[in-house]
Amino acid sequence: MLTLLLLIPLLGAVGLGLWPGNPDAAMVRRAAIALLVVQLLASLRVLLAFDPGVGGMQLQEGISWLGSLGLEYRLGIDGLSMPLVLVNGALSLVAAIASRDVQARPRLYFALLLVISGAVNGAFLANNLLLFFLFYELELIPLWLLISVWGGANRAYAATKFLIFTAVSGVLILGAFLGLAFTTGSVDFSLSPVTSEHLAMASQMPLLLALLVGFGIKIPLFPFHTWLPDAHTEASTPVSVLLAGVLLKLGTYGLLRFCMGLFPQAWAELAPGLAIWAAVSVLFGSLAAIAQRDMKRMVAYSSVGHMGYVLLAAAAATPVSLLGAVFQMVSHGLISALLFLLVGAVYRATGTRDLEVLRGLLNPERGLPLTGSLMIVGVMASAGLPGMAGFISEFLVFRGSLNAFPVATLLSMVGSGLTAVYFLLLVNRAFFGRLAITPRDPQSGPIDIRLPALNLIDQLPSLALAGAVVVIGLWPASLGDISEAATNGMALMPVLLAAAGSGGLG
Amino acid sequence: MPLVSALPLPLQTVWLIPLYGFSGMVLSLPWATGWIKRNGPRPAAYLNLLVTLLAVLHGSLVIREVMQLGPQHLSFPWFQADDLQLRIGFDLSLTNLAALELVTFMSLVCQVFGLGYLDKEWSLARFYGLVGFFEGAMSGVVLSSSLFMSYFLLEMLTLSTYLLVGFWYAQPLVVTAARDAFLTKRVGDVLLLMGVVALSAWAGSMEFNDLYAWAATANLPPLAANLLGLGLIAGPMGKCAQFPMHLWLDEAMEGPNPASILRNSVVVTCGAVVLLKVMPLLQAAPLATTVLLAVGAISAVGGALVAIAQVDLKRAFSYSTTSYLGLVFIAVALQQPGIALLLLFAHGLAKALLFMSVGSIIATTNCQDLTELGGLGGRMPATTVAYLVGGAGLVGLLPLGCFWCYGLIVESIRPAAPLMAAVFILTNLLTALNLTRVFRSVFLGSPTPKTRRAPEVNWLMATPMVSLSVIVLLLPWIMQRLDPVPGIGSFSLPVALVIAGSGAAGVVAGSQVHLDRFWSRSRQQAVRVVQDLLAFDFYTPAIYRATIVAFVAALANLASWFDRVVVNGLVNGIGRVSLISAEGLKLGVSGQMQTYVLTTLVAIVLLFSAMQWWFG
Repeated sequence: MLTLLLLIPLLGAVGLGLWPGNPDAAMVRRAAIALLVVQLLASLRVLLAFDPGVGGMQLQEGISWLGSLGLEYRLGIDGLSMPLVLVNGALSLVAAIASRDVQARPRLYFALLLVISGAVNGAFLANNLLLFFLFYELELIPLWLLISVWGGANRAYAATKFLIFTAVSGVLILGAFLGLAFTTGSVDFSLSPVTSEHLAMASQMPLLLALLVGFGIKIPLFPFHTWLPDAHTEASTPVSVLLAGVLLKLGTYGLLRFCMGLFPQAWAELAPGLAIWAAVSVLFGSLAAIAQRDMKRMVAYSSVGHMGYVLLAAAAATPVSLLGAVFQMVSHGLISALLFLLVGAVYRATGTRDLEVLRGLLNPERGLPLTGSLMIVGVMASAGLPGMAGFISEFLVFRGSLNAFPVATLLSMVGSGLTAVYFLLLVNRAFFGRLAITPRDPQSGPIDIRLPALNLIDQLPSLALAGAVVVIGLWPASLGDISEAATNGMALMPVLLAAAGSGGLG
Repeated sequence: MPLVSALPLPLQTVWLIPLYGFSGMVLSLPWATGWIKRNGPRPAAYLNLLVTLLAVLHGSLVIREVMQLGPQHLSFPWFQADDLQLRIGFDLSLTNLAALELVTFMSLVCQVFGLGYLDKEWSLARFYGLVGFFEGAMSGVVLSSSLFMSYFLLEMLTLSTYLLVGFWYAQPLVVTAARDAFLTKRVGDVLLLMGVVALSAWAGSMEFNDLYAWAATANLPPLAANLLGLGLIAGPMGKCAQFPMHLWLDEAMEGPNPASILRNSVVVTCGAVVLLKVMPLLQAAPLATTVLLAVGAISAVGGALVAIAQVDLKRAFSYSTTSYLGLVFIAVALQQPGIALLLLFAHGLAKALLFMSVGSIIATTNCQDLTELGGLGGRMPATTVAYLVGGAGLVGLLPLGCFWCYGLIVESIRPAAPLMAAVFILTNLLTALNLTRVFRSVFLGSPTPKTRRAPEVNWLMATPMVSLSVIVLLLPWIMQRLDPVPGIGSFSLPVALVIAGSGAAGVVAGSQVHLDRFWSRSRQQAVRVVQDLLAFDFYTPAIYRATIVAFVAALANLASWFDRVVVNGLVNGIGRVSLISAEGLKLGVSGQMQTYVLTTLVAIVLLFSAMQWWFG
């Protein structure tokens, strides 16, 4: 059943790529949307078969691939990956729907989109380190192409930066996985945790650090975040949606699954430092976001800030904080996707994202009232207003981490307050005020404008995302029930290991 | 606790009461978004009035049942994870229900008033939707039995205040007002969130009753207890527009007047109710109590002083709200919760009436500048009466609502805190002065071009105003019923005389103050300095801009600079170095086999010797 989640997008990509003749872009888009709907339905079927009471991997399937190398095709799903697979299914669909403007080389574009979706599914489902790495790298090249072919003016620089950073991240991760195999002497690359009995702490630390930096680039954490704002600024709207909503989650997923899951003891040793790192990342991202003029850059920096909460939660590693981490991953995925869609809508209508230029877009007749209203929902959700997904995620993260790391948690809460500052600036500048553009020549005064009305159909993805954000905010049990068993299991792991190490589980 | 299903129906369904307001928001959507364009947006207003009426009726049914059955507690599970239990809980005590009735009734009255005031407003449906949201959040806050739920709804209040203040978002002053309202409250809310999270982590439960039990036995280190206390009072401080987070209420006067009525009467009351609920948790936090006292005293006197120097009709009274809530803070800090509630109640009704009167004046004259008003006394009789009744209900002079509150509080704190009693009396004097001064500018004197042809307001505005006047006049009787023991008149004659005397002194001073239409700023240098100081709110906005705003902006710019120059510069530098070295190496290609072999050999030797040195 899980293999289906890979086959649909990947075979679909091949199919689209081999589409004979010169198909119309709209046709290709419709085919891609159909495939992604099927993929989303398949993910929902997995959700039906999924038993939330089980903490470990379930629905496992696999065959031996290259047994001598330790590369085995093993898939499985648990409460950590289930929500992420769903988010991936939903956001890939949203991205395809939002790719209305793609006219050049539609076959390649949608094929790449499908490859990314399939590869991300594969990375979330892989139960073998090498298999994860393969999928992790597989998603990289299509995204690079999507930015460098369909991107903005400065796309070559941004795409290369993205490629180099992520490639370094991949090398570090592969190095750590291989190093683990060499130092422990076993080549099974399974997900079983390493204890200090098998491997001395001195060897665990460098491996963990390599993994941390590798995934820290992907998340991204300060100071490895510099590729992200550039990539977002140059990427088109659907690519930004995928990048922020899904691909960054690979980093945090890796953090939880591999850094914490493989080296629980070394992780616990590093945890205080990681919490400080998280707080620095949160504050830096939030402060840098305040100073941005480009709406998209602002949202991109907000990602740096908000993904820091996941590191904080992972460092604390209590049941509540880990559940909070899953919540934060899902809600950040939905909220940032929503924000990028809306910024994209503004860009499409006005041709600019500059906060010094945009004014009064909330105007009901000549502006973008629906986009503006949804933007208010999105920024409030991101700022952690109750009733929306951001609040319950942040509350769980802070509540779970406070006892372990009070100072880092309080600093992160300050970051949460700063989110309100920059997003309020965004709404106030771009959407409030009088709808007019300031011309380059200051003498001639502002010009009244009339923006083309957006179709309601075009806004459906944003409406759906906003709806999901509110549903999770008002009914958090919908998500909590899926993940709780898994996060509880992960939080208890160090305890179990310690018990096993001291000679008995009681 | 009895089973929920054993309770009478109105109590079982009490969770509906906040939902009435929220459903009003949803019901307004078709008109607010413009899906239904025929016949204008009025139906949304009627639907909202209907659900608010339902809320009022349901609330009074609940009060009747609770009077028979005694206080009840209802709670429903909401979310649970590991040791974290979050529940939706309602505390149905008479105090909470009285506050609920105040909230829903005021919302109803304001919505009727708003039909008249916003007669020609094109986005009437949006306004009513927001008021519905506002009302829902407030009814939830006053009924809530858990700190988590109170926080949840207080934040929703912050959001709806932002949207209501920003209602006319095309005006530049409104934009900054909405921003300041949100950010100031948000500062308070984030501090409150820190307190909530800490309590949740330490005490486990979020129910107020469990928290009280925990606080009685918890042995926190003094630092933690004090920080916790400060966090818990920060939220109410922001909501009640207390110094130093008082700026937003004044700026919020840019919003539509019906919302100002609600904001100055019941929203601040909600903040104070939350303060009353967290008060028992502050036993171990003497610092928090001291801060409460100081903040209350500064806000009370400072607010009353600043109000005197305002030339804007609405702002003259919004600062007075800050001032009265300061008095409530003092009462709470001095462990007088009963009197604090009475004061909130009396102030809420009287201030709402004053703001209705102000709204009527603004609606007929389209002017809120005191220097351009005058001579309205005979032209708008209902409005004049409302102003007089509201003003009388607010100050301690005539035996209306606040007079009895003043008497009670001064009597009870006089022995322990004479200074604070003096603050009360001074505030009373200054408030009376301000009310008299404004009365003279607006209602007395000769008519001005803006008031010459002012008619009385239409019935939609007059009816709520007159009914509320009657209620304010009857308030002492209602208070007597609400709080029979020890009776609202249980204070000595000297205290009563001092209070009435301070009120009278204020009225006399207010009637003697020199008012000049053309020289609203005094020509005497010394007076002028003081006047400016007060008119500009002790220059607090400028001080904020120079300190905290500048600080955050500088940090943001520093972070951005660091990002561009250091982080990004480093990355680009590495890229450039690699490119340059590659360019350089390109020139070293000679095409001679020997050179390559030699280079390779040298490299291998170097590598091995390095490894030898490193590991050996």
